[in-house]
Amino acid sequence: MILSRKKVRDLETADLGNAVDGRSLWADARIRFFKNKAAVAGLVVLVLVALFAAFGSFLAPWSNEEVDWAVLGQVDTMGRPSLASGHYFGTDELGRDVFARTIQGTQISLMVGLIGALIAVVVGTIYGATSGYHGGRIDNVMMRIVDVLLAIPYMFVLILLLVVFGRSVLMLFVGIGLISWLDMARIARGQTLSIKNKEFVEAAHAIGVRPVTIIRRHILPNLLGVVIVYATLLVPSMIIYESFISFLGLGVQEPSTSWGALISDGASQMQYGTLWMLLFPLFFFVITLFAFFFVGDGLRDALDPKDR
Amino acid sequence: MLSYIFRRLAVAIPTLLVLVVFSYLVMYAAPGGPFDTERALPQEVMANLEAKFGLDKPLVVQMANYVWNVVVHFDFGPSYYYKDQTVNDIIAQGFPVTLTYGFWSFVVAVVVGMSLGVCAAVYHNSWLDYLAVGVSIGAQVLPNFVMAPILVLVFTLWLGWLPGGGWQGGQWQYVVMPVIALSTSFMASIARLTRSSMLEVLNANYIRTARAKGLPMRKVILRHALKPALLPVVSYLGPAFVAMITGSVVVDMYFSTGGIGVFFVNSALNRDYSVIMGITILTGALTIFFNLVVDILYAWIDPKIRY
Amino acid sequence: MALLEINDLAVRFETNDGIVSAVNGVSFNVNEGDTLAIVGESGSGKSQTAFAAIGLLARNGHATGSVKWDGQEILNLPESKLNRIRSSEIAMIFQDPMTSLNPFMRVSDQMEEVLTLHRGMSRRAARVECVRMLDAVRIPDAAARITMYPHEFSGGMRQRIMIAMSLLCRPRLLIADEPTTALDVTVQAQIMKLLRDVQDEFNTALILITHDLGIVAGSCERTMVMYGGRIMERGPTEEIFETPTHPYTLGLLEAVPRLDRREEVLPTIPGEPPDMMRDVRGCPFEPRCPLRIDRCTDDTPPLERIGETRVRACHRSPEEVR
Repeated sequence: MILSRKKVRDLETADLGNAVDGRSLWADARIRFFKNKAAVAGLVVLVLVALFAAFGSFLAPWSNEEVDWAVLGQVDTMGRPSLASGHYFGTDELGRDVFARTIQGTQISLMVGLIGALIAVVVGTIYGATSGYHGGRIDNVMMRIVDVLLAIPYMFVLILLLVVFGRSVLMLFVGIGLISWLDMARIARGQTLSIKNKEFVEAAHAIGVRPVTIIRRHILPNLLGVVIVYATLLVPSMIIYESFISFLGLGVQEPSTSWGALISDGASQMQYGTLWMLLFPLFFFVITLFAFFFVGDGLRDALDPKDR
Repeated sequence: MLSYIFRRLAVAIPTLLVLVVFSYLVMYAAPGGPFDTERALPQEVMANLEAKFGLDKPLVVQMANYVWNVVVHFDFGPSYYYKDQTVNDIIAQGFPVTLTYGFWSFVVAVVVGMSLGVCAAVYHNSWLDYLAVGVSIGAQVLPNFVMAPILVLVFTLWLGWLPGGGWQGGQWQYVVMPVIALSTSFMASIARLTRSSMLEVLNANYIRTARAKGLPMRKVILRHALKPALLPVVSYLGPAFVAMITGSVVVDMYFSTGGIGVFFVNSALNRDYSVIMGITILTGALTIFFNLVVDILYAWIDPKIRY
Repeated sequence: MALLEINDLAVRFETNDGIVSAVNGVSFNVNEGDTLAIVGESGSGKSQTAFAAIGLLARNGHATGSVKWDGQEILNLPESKLNRIRSSEIAMIFQDPMTSLNPFMRVSDQMEEVLTLHRGMSRRAARVECVRMLDAVRIPDAAARITMYPHEFSGGMRQRIMIAMSLLCRPRLLIADEPTTALDVTVQAQIMKLLRDVQDEFNTALILITHDLGIVAGSCERTMVMYGGRIMERGPTEEIFETPTHPYTLGLLEAVPRLDRREEVLPTIPGEPPDMMRDVRGCPFEPRCPLRIDRCTDDTPPLERIGETRVRACHRSPEEVR
């Protein structure tokens, strides 16, 4: 829902990461990327958030499940964020440490984002590359299937799946990944169509290399640039999907949590003046999404100089 | 044109059937039935219930019956959970609400987004442009479930201007926040899309031709640039519509507007399969219908598309 | 009084990489019914000269100097005043007929708006006039085809439509910016013949911008050669062809393929067109010039008159060039 049609279309035709120029192109791209201040700032933020998720728990005096009985019942006064009590981000309405819970939420949200994007990228690229490589009737049928699936309200189907097969993080990963490969498939197909006509593919074909090998050895490496760009832009979408579902209470189950669940908790408590429950997770959510978008845009500009 | 519509329909109908069959199969494959309660029901009560809902027949017959009822009678059957209500009752109750604020959200997103995008492109590199770009980047990270609490925080808890939820037959105070929450991110996407495609169009050779004719800038934009600039926006409307339907679930949950989303989430939690299916199929049908409208609109704008 | 009088025109573009000066100190006149060819390779500033004259520069472009139309200064006039002159007095046709017509509008709508705007005609009257004009540029079955979209016409036909559209208000000056570059050779000849015909018929002055010396010979009385945003040489076309006085003109003429000579290798001008960001000191052609002398590096040769009708900008004497 974030990646617009136009972006998808641009990526379908973009001339990214042409491996003929090999290393120099990637070196070039790296220089261009590091010249882009917003992208570098985004990268720094992402590293910091990742460090926070990985090592933050060593700083937390409280675990995410412990209930601080001292603050229970008077969270709005005693549960305030303070260094003295060890609740750096305050506590939630049940007396649990928001700092520890935010760390855990960050871990889960990032993981869902990355794994969901990975699934989408792998499935989408293979599907798209296969469809584009074969062309003709196979391509027609495969893309028609994608069209059909694109017209389905995916979020409802995902919720249906979650309800029927039980709400587990695994189901969430698979479900979110599986509904997001469609755009990737279209992009990969568009790219494959243009790569397919290049001389080195024809040469491989002429000396009798099998199609599977051609796709694996010649097509996929050349898709890399586009795939990386799209994957970076896909991660925030995945995070939004997950948060959306968790916000509705259909995602991650207690005591596990995620940004969406934390935002939902915080939002339901804010009339009692305990804003920290909403604002801390929201802050991490917002800066991470920003960072991903800036990095994604920076990568695209870096890998596709003519786009600027 | 007519044959084009028919060809699009030829894709739309199988899509809908796939959706129906798929959701039915998922439900059928589900471990546990709708009548599994904490206390196991006696065997004969179970059998009676299953007979009543036609669950004792073979899968194919069940499915055929279901599809027949949906297509011919527009009847989604009884709710498994709310014993005295049919799925149709529930839809009739929630759908008008969803439709009302959904319609306004769509109008706001499209009208405000397009105007903002066009102005930003026409006054490229002015403060208006920077404002539009800033707003659209900001709104990218503010999906509806983030917007909703922020709006309530500001307008209900701090300023006390608007009620924090409810519907009251759709009085304007109750409609404002749901509409803003639902439309903001789409408005931003549409603004960004319009701006970039308008900038591209304004650099086109035929715009230079139009200016060389001596047309005033206003006419150049309205007569020559607007249509081509809006093409990518039109093709975004389909996905935006889907995402908005999805977002309505959050709005319904958060603002207690009583729309269809509440029933969807509650049925999901209660395993009320017939309601889930009914709503999924309904939204699927709406989406497919809307995509059809968008395709026709697209073909109408772009003379190069052959029907 | 000249119809169009351009004096010391300069055009600069602000880009991310710095200021690009595309046109420098260009001056020339065009009289009623005149035909002038502006010749040069891409990037020589020939198109930007024309765009600057009628205010069609890109947003980041800025023009200085003087452009007088009918004695009135029109350079950097507000858009609303320029719009009264555009198309009704100075019309323009562009290089690429494929993209210069709006693909989303019917030809009829695109043509009629010129007449309803400048002549206040009703749409019905405008339609009649447009069909007549399409007939004049020999579009077959114009009355029926006028409601078609541009993509339903061939490239040559589209350029005919562009020409018809530009002539609707009987402009006194027609600027044709590489009108045949994007077309097939046979179609090129037809379009050039058409341009000559309409020029005769309507007595319109014509500025023909081109890089192709081949089409200049038969169609323009005068020729102006530009390089690196400056005038290299200007004069009657025949004289320029017979006795070029500038090394660049000489190079251009030698690079035209000819049937009356048998050559193994077509002569070319070695080197690249100038980087317009570089310092504007010296002669722009100096790096590629076979006849360069030390002076050329720092000292920009001024435009000097030779005879009644010719000007040139070169430190070498005309005799040395030949």
